[in-house]
Amino acid sequence: MGILTIGTFASLVGSMNLDFVVKLAATALDKGHEVNLWLSGNSTVLVNKDQKEFKDYSHPGVMLPELIDKGLKVVVCEACAMARGVPKEKAIDGVTYTSMDWYLAYGAKGDRLLHIGRE
Amino acid sequence: MGLSILFLVQTPPYKSENPKLALTHALAGPLTELHIDEEVKTTVAFVGDGVLNCLKDQKSMDHWDITSTEQHLRNLLLSDVPVMVCKEDLEKFGISKDRLVDATEMGAEISIEVVPFSEIQAKIDEATALMCF
Amino acid sequence: MNLALFVSDLRFNQETLDRVTASNLGVFLVENGVYHAVLKEGGSPSAVLEKEGATVYVLNEDLETRGFSGDEVDDRAKVISMSDLVDLIMNDYEKLAWL
Repeated sequence: MGILTIGTFASLVGSMNLDFVVKLAATALDKGHEVNLWLSGNSTVLVNKDQKEFKDYSHPGVMLPELIDKGLKVVVCEACAMARGVPKEKAIDGVTYTSMDWYLAYGAKGDRLLHIGRE
Repeated sequence: MGLSILFLVQTPPYKSENPKLALTHALAGPLTELHIDEEVKTTVAFVGDGVLNCLKDQKSMDHWDITSTEQHLRNLLLSDVPVMVCKEDLEKFGISKDRLVDATEMGAEISIEVVPFSEIQAKIDEATALMCF
Repeated sequence: MNLALFVSDLRFNQETLDRVTASNLGVFLVENGVYHAVLKEGGSPSAVLEKEGATVYVLNEDLETRGFSGDEVDDRAKVISMSDLVDLIMNDYEKLAWL
């Protein structure tokens, strides 16, 4: 089993990249891999704990608590999140707030890095 | 060989913040030692429409009150992070080297390197991991 | 170098795909990238399918989401599930790039 680090910058709801990322992470976890998820830029809003599941909108954030329980490590760019009004107290339990050096370190050191730098 | 990440920037600046985030992330390489006892070396390469990030005299602070991509590029050069720009793509847009961001007057010891795509391909081969923007 | 390139749009920075080479190259068509496996614009299949030396994969979930089925996929692309995708990237491709 390996370590997969996924980093993403895409918007919540407005782009389905985050839906793809969450499904990929869930599938990799189910197969026994270790998965790190780095959220930067607009993606940081994914950890907002007040998201509602409306079927007219994509809603990948609602799966995060279950995935965190299964071992998904979710790490957020603190400055990006603060710029978007999502401080740690508004975030889902179990999320880590830090800076991009964490991502570079574990992205480079893990077995695989999938970086999604676009919407 | 140590860990390294190549940042490949393919999109123009400003409409999306993501090219700028490539630069701020690339600047964090030396801090990785705090986490894994090893510095991750970073290199930034601009290709395609991404070469438009490298034009100097950007006035985003004057018009929008935000830091310019140019300032972030200068920070990289001042921090000795290698910055490459694709020669063929600059030529396609008719952009000459004298229009590119430079930080030597601020004390930088390196400048943006204009290189053929083959040299960027070599960096892709060599890097531990890739980040495309 | 074993390299997987992800294409997630119908229109994207194709210059990078055209130029990058690898000894073992995989092209993964996901999200709107799946259109490259099924559409023939102006009667011609996508140039993505003609990437030299590449193995092309297309994600079934994203095909079906957009109203296509595996039967409509060009013979040059292999239809895979998300589970297959995880196996491929963890076993066969050491570097991944989302174009």
